[in-house]
Amino acid sequence: MIQLTIDGRAIQVQDGATVMEAARANGIDIPHLCYHPDLSVSGGCRLCLVEIEGRPFPVPGCGLACADDMVIRTQSEQLSAMRREIIDLFISDHPLDCVTCDKAGACLLQKYAYEYGISETSHDFEVSRTLYQDDNPFFLRDHQYCILCGRCVRVCSEIVGANAIEIVGRGFESHVATPFDGPMIDSSCVFCGSCVQVCPTAALMPVSRRGQGREWDLDRVKTICGYCGVGCEIEYARRNGKIVYAQARPDAPVNGEFLCSKGRYGWDFATSPQRLTRPMIRRDVAYDLGLTDDPWTLPDSSPLADEKPRIEDSFVPVDWDTALNLIGERLADTVKEYGPDSVMGLSSARCTNEENYLFQKFMRAGIGTNNVDHCARL
Amino acid sequence: MTNSIREIRDADCLFITGSNTAVSHPVISYEVIRAVKRGANLIIVDPRRIPLVDHATLFLQIKPGTDIYVFLAIMHTIIREGWVNDTFIAERTEGFDKFKAVVEEYPPERAALISGVPVEQIEAAARIYALGERASGTSIYDDKRGHSAILYAMGITQRSNGTDLVMTLANLAMLGGHVGKPSTGVNPLRGQSNVQGACDLGCLVNVFPGYQAVTDEAKRTTLAQAWNVPSLPGEVGLTIVEAMHAASEGKVRAVYVMGENPMMSDPNTSHVEHALRSLDLLVVQDIFPSETAFLAHIILPAAASLEKDGSFTNTERRVQLLKPVIAAPGEARPDWQITGEIAARFDHYLGIAREPGYWVFPSAEAIFKEIAAVTPIYGGMSYQRLAGAGISWPCPTPDHAGTQYLHVGKFSRGLGKFNPVQAHDPAEQPDDEYPLILSTGRVLYHYHTGTMTRRSEPLAWREPGGFVEINPADADGLQGSGGVVIESRRGSVRAEVRISDRVPPGTIFLAFHWRESPANMLTQDFALDPVAKIPEYKVCAVRLKQA
Repeated sequence: MIQLTIDGRAIQVQDGATVMEAARANGIDIPHLCYHPDLSVSGGCRLCLVEIEGRPFPVPGCGLACADDMVIRTQSEQLSAMRREIIDLFISDHPLDCVTCDKAGACLLQKYAYEYGISETSHDFEVSRTLYQDDNPFFLRDHQYCILCGRCVRVCSEIVGANAIEIVGRGFESHVATPFDGPMIDSSCVFCGSCVQVCPTAALMPVSRRGQGREWDLDRVKTICGYCGVGCEIEYARRNGKIVYAQARPDAPVNGEFLCSKGRYGWDFATSPQRLTRPMIRRDVAYDLGLTDDPWTLPDSSPLADEKPRIEDSFVPVDWDTALNLIGERLADTVKEYGPDSVMGLSSARCTNEENYLFQKFMRAGIGTNNVDHCARL
Repeated sequence: MTNSIREIRDADCLFITGSNTAVSHPVISYEVIRAVKRGANLIIVDPRRIPLVDHATLFLQIKPGTDIYVFLAIMHTIIREGWVNDTFIAERTEGFDKFKAVVEEYPPERAALISGVPVEQIEAAARIYALGERASGTSIYDDKRGHSAILYAMGITQRSNGTDLVMTLANLAMLGGHVGKPSTGVNPLRGQSNVQGACDLGCLVNVFPGYQAVTDEAKRTTLAQAWNVPSLPGEVGLTIVEAMHAASEGKVRAVYVMGENPMMSDPNTSHVEHALRSLDLLVVQDIFPSETAFLAHIILPAAASLEKDGSFTNTERRVQLLKPVIAAPGEARPDWQITGEIAARFDHYLGIAREPGYWVFPSAEAIFKEIAAVTPIYGGMSYQRLAGAGISWPCPTPDHAGTQYLHVGKFSRGLGKFNPVQAHDPAEQPDDEYPLILSTGRVLYHYHTGTMTRRSEPLAWREPGGFVEINPADADGLQGSGGVVIESRRGSVRAEVRISDRVPPGTIFLAFHWRESPANMLTQDFALDPVAKIPEYKVCAVRLKQA
């Protein structure tokens, strides 16, 4: 263990911890843009400069290893002046479009500009990167807002392992790019959106987010992803009861801030016009019950043979009571005539614990059979 | 999983087999990438050149179905070279001598001939795994031996000898003593959001909630009392594939399907369709008109998981709470409400009277209270406790913190048993008539039978249609042909061709998401694993014809 002092507080940390980590673990927030707790240290933005007693110049806290008896200051007149100058430089080529920007309220650059009182740049303003890339339906790349912090590049390499992007060019020409600046789909990108998640500005934004409201217009609900068995926690940002975008939070127990393409972007199925919205009875059954006047027979051809089959061609909508009573009656008839083992229940690995429990209870305690299985094997 | 997902990043060696992790469990692959970046060795045993191979130290590219020889040869080498964890074997296991005698028959030279994996690779994998060697950096663990974890998925289990293969991986873990410690274990990566929970809560033919055997009379009596019924059935029921055969024979007359699509997911689709058509009653409760729904007599609209309360149990046994994010469309209802109503009406027609609230619950939470009361591994859980990070089972009592990793100090059965497993070949081998092997699985942007993902705009944009992956060596004359017909002894399927060296020569890969190219028209349902009754989706014999 190492003993040091940060902002007058005595702090104890594990060997190998950085000043940034020690400060964060003790609730001391050092300003930062390129630092991210899950990524390697870059040290590029210089916003996390701290003063070390006995050393003449400030040092970035993200890459500074804690040492015994170190005395650190994270706030001072000198540091504030330096940070103001850094932010001033950042906004000399970052448009202050905050009044129309979808990221407003969640942008780190905006947060620090506010905290350090910088409303405009003192340098000549010139946007050095003007590329706007909307080459996929997952996320937009609007390079004028990019501050080259490199978080996206690091997350793609260090967490996702896709290595789809890199910083290319020099000076004002430098920007984040796929190989040869080709379309995203031709790169090794897996469209997981982890880059979007860690981007501190509006350079990377979900397409679904565009023009859908400001951060403070949205409310948020966390639930568990419905796709694979990893159990990622996803936070959905909503407006008027509709999902605007999905992201993950650092405190998600399994996945932290990271999701895959299906989890982050594959939620729009829920509002598909093809959703089933009413109970339905097949036309031949409905005809036998006198619910429709038109006789009908189930075609011999497979449902798979039809390219776009329409469910309403084969079924008539009914109310819940009609459907539920019919099922209850027919199941009871089957059990009476052929015994409980003539009934099979297929439950679902996509349904909840409560639903699966009740389902098998119905099969066992109601119907009286152990013929209950689900898609665990498939 | 015996261990938790977060432990993967701290492993010294990861051994992945039969899992295309970056595609089927992307977020777990992120943990693997973190481990590799920290200096862990990554060993992959797979027929296909999966994306994680780019990050691997060793890639043992096997011919499909020959992995068992490689595993046996790895264990042969570990024993021969004295890399076994003697203390662990002496203190924690039984049956080692008998097992050792079997493994002696499988030297790496034999495995190399059959699998195509060089002897040196097998021996290197044996050393790295057994000793938990790192590629670089220092372990966070102080032990003499590094920590090695095995990750596997359906490439191991969807096989006619799947149970043997799982026992083999368990044997391998015990040889190195890589069980009961963090960042070790035998870790099946489970494929669906709540497949773990559906199993835990008894939607299996042989067990009640909490894996209590239906054949155990004492368990049956206790549960019958809790459920207030005179008795419960004591005979093991029919699995899905068995039920389809029984339906064809007229023994099963009615099927109630909640959120499944056997027309796409079950092997030998033509037979499944015949079986479903021969039913007196087919009820399908789903969120979309699935391929199966078109054969139903009655369809019920269900709410999606985004639209309801409840809980899911993930692959590391963590039970987590769901919250409704959006409203269900139209008259769609949560499945628990529908099932409760059906059960109540079934009782009514049979003239059975039960106490009010027996089937129809006021909330998902009320059902969970009953779950905790009759399911010992969930016994200490409540919605209140699950809020936040959830709890991993076993959690038997309200003051139990849950279990991050299993088998600490001793196995559930006491001593870990070495099962002397022999090698078996897949049930259907390629021959002159059907010279290629078909393997099925998933692609990154789609999920299972595609009912959800294929209706998602961005996902469907990225991967709009079905395709079969064919190695350049098998694709002579197919390129630019605009499609190919794949034939097996069960049926034929047309698919677009993607020439790819992800598959080895002699093997083709077709995902089962595509209704226009339904892979399960081809797969076989005659040779199931004798214990788990899982179909052999990963190996069947096919041939290609110009479309």
